[in-house]
Amino acid sequence: MSAPSMIKLQSSDAAEITVEREIAERSVLIKNMMEDVGEQAFSEAIPIPNVNEAVLNKVIEWCTHHRADPPSTNDDDSDSRKKTTDIEEWDQKFMQVDQEMLFEIILAANYLDIKPLLDVGCKTVANMIKGKSPEEIRKTFNIQNDFTPEEEDQIRRENEWAEDR
Amino acid sequence: MSKRARDDDDDHHHHEESHSHQKRMRLTFHDHLSTLSDELILRTLSYLPLSDRITCLRLSHRLQSLADDPQLWKAAYYSRFVRPRASRIPGLRGHDTSVKALHYSSKLSKWLEDDHLVRRGKKTNWKRQYKLRHNWSIGSCNVSQTTVAEQASIPPLLVRLYENIIFTADSTEGLRVLSMNGEPIILATLPFTVETKSQALSPKPTSLAVDASTSDGNAIGVAVGFANGGFGVYKFDKRKSALALLYQHAPSSNGTVSAIAYVSPYILTMTEAQLLSLYMFPHTPPYRSLSDKHTVVAPHLVSSLKSHTAWPPLSLSIRASSASVSASIAYAMPTYLDGWSVGMQEMLLTPEGRVMESRLASAETQGFHSLSTDSGGSRSPSWNSRAPSSSVRNRPYVETSDYRSRPTSLSYTHPYLLAAHADNTLTVYLVTSTARELAIGPGRRLWGHTSSVASAHVGDRGKAVSVSKRGNELRVWELEGVTISQASRRRSAIGADAERSIQVRPETKADSARKAPQQVTEVQSRYKDEDMVVTKGWVAFDEEKVVVLREEQKGAQALVVYDFT
Repeated sequence: MSAPSMIKLQSSDAAEITVEREIAERSVLIKNMMEDVGEQAFSEAIPIPNVNEAVLNKVIEWCTHHRADPPSTNDDDSDSRKKTTDIEEWDQKFMQVDQEMLFEIILAANYLDIKPLLDVGCKTVANMIKGKSPEEIRKTFNIQNDFTPEEEDQIRRENEWAEDR
Repeated sequence: MSKRARDDDDDHHHHEESHSHQKRMRLTFHDHLSTLSDELILRTLSYLPLSDRITCLRLSHRLQSLADDPQLWKAAYYSRFVRPRASRIPGLRGHDTSVKALHYSSKLSKWLEDDHLVRRGKKTNWKRQYKLRHNWSIGSCNVSQTTVAEQASIPPLLVRLYENIIFTADSTEGLRVLSMNGEPIILATLPFTVETKSQALSPKPTSLAVDASTSDGNAIGVAVGFANGGFGVYKFDKRKSALALLYQHAPSSNGTVSAIAYVSPYILTMTEAQLLSLYMFPHTPPYRSLSDKHTVVAPHLVSSLKSHTAWPPLSLSIRASSASVSASIAYAMPTYLDGWSVGMQEMLLTPEGRVMESRLASAETQGFHSLSTDSGGSRSPSWNSRAPSSSVRNRPYVETSDYRSRPTSLSYTHPYLLAAHADNTLTVYLVTSTARELAIGPGRRLWGHTSSVASAHVGDRGKAVSVSKRGNELRVWELEGVTISQASRRRSAIGADAERSIQVRPETKADSARKAPQQVTEVQSRYKDEDMVVTKGWVAFDEEKVVVLREEQKGAQALVVYDFT
């Protein structure tokens, strides 16, 4: 068995990370770049200008664990994504990070085009919203309330029907 | 040492107190969620159940606009109202019904009869549609009442509802059109007159039909049958709010036109002398040119059938497709052992108006015994009974003491035939009409009403509305799934009928925004008024509203509008 081909990624803070090509190619962005650039990719580090070292390492950790996953259908129209916020146990643990890292992972997954990781990130945020009152959600994410109490009450009344099931 | 450190921390904390608010905003509790792009926030919101998404509307202006995104409402609509149906319908048009195939998709074919909402170029307010269906499903609506006639009219007032427009016909006021957007407003009135040599008479209208096939135009076709055996065809111009007579059919000796159906260019009439007639206009009546109203060429009689067994109540129906036209009559039919049942006659025509076939069917009656296993079929040689004996053998519910009284009302919207009974129940039959056969499946009783059912009406998608005699109990039914197969029937628990229907409850929440609270209370107090009786058990509905015609003892007639929007 031949040694896995390794490539180098360069984070936004100029750190070079060596990673197996197969793992890096969980990212559709990197996969496409490899196809475009060809052999040159093995000699030079691929710059990932939007992701810092800490986040990039975290993303690679996820890709390494999920390296054997069947390829996801990147077809948003058929939408075979499960409409639940179920997250597998390993991913749940993986996402036990501070909010800053959580959102950095979401942004990185979006930029690197890793749909399954993006979904895990979005589901994690959705789970943080679930079952909470507006005030609790605002507190969780420090969202600035730009409604007057009257406005907020009006929105509540207008949408009251939807809670009635 | 450790204590020291803690003290230091405390000091530090106190020291920072004055700056803490500012610092929090800037550093510790940065609003990460709002830094995400709209697309990523939408993706996150798409994982939330509706109740949590509604909560998000109240967070901030930006989240409000995102959480209210039409695409999220569209997906919610699909998963709640379309997908469950798709999985319920077995062998759905040969589609792959595996779980994966039923996932939300913008593909037209996945939307079943809701596909009109998804058509290209069509702007659908998905939130409004969702709310509408939601309100129907829980029976929530606003109620208002309008008096339409101060005195009793003989024959009684006729009412139809179509796309938020109410059409009424009576001998004193003639044909009237009311807008139902908000308070009812009379848009147009046209008296019925027949000019004879000596005088102008006002014929009595006895049946009324609205042509639902003209929906995309700016005009709606209306047909009125009269006691003198004649009928009239009218058009209502939506832009000009004007009514015009297109064609007047001469009175005939066949008696009162007791029922009429109109799907341009066909008119189907049933007279009291039990003569069923199908007319066809040579070409589509020119709805668009109001000025030349007398140029409409008289229709020719395509076919006429004399019946001796078709008893009221009746329901006429015309279904037109590109390949053929089906004109049918559903009627009550006395049987020897079980009391009343239902029968149907259907004429199949080419679009040009040539009769291809005429066939009969009657319902397999529950409780029939071997003595008369195929008596329903023997009455008509053309009745193609697939296997009446086997269905009798496999019949899961034998109701031996089930003598049926004559239905109080019949309504047929393919494929559902719904009969209302005085004994608080309804019966739904599934009608099969293929190129080869016409058949009415075994009836299935629906329980739920607690008093005599005066009237029932089936609409699209198997939605039905029924009203009790006193008009104080309105129920919404989902017929789909009730009649599908013996197997699924057996699976459903006995007594599940109550869950299939929802009793409509007028909006009464004190804090809910409604336009005329005093009106609602008035209607509710009138519910207790025993003098209110549903006239002839009349009810109709469209996508958004149910209208019930009620008569007070003094004779005044009122339209009660249940608004589900």
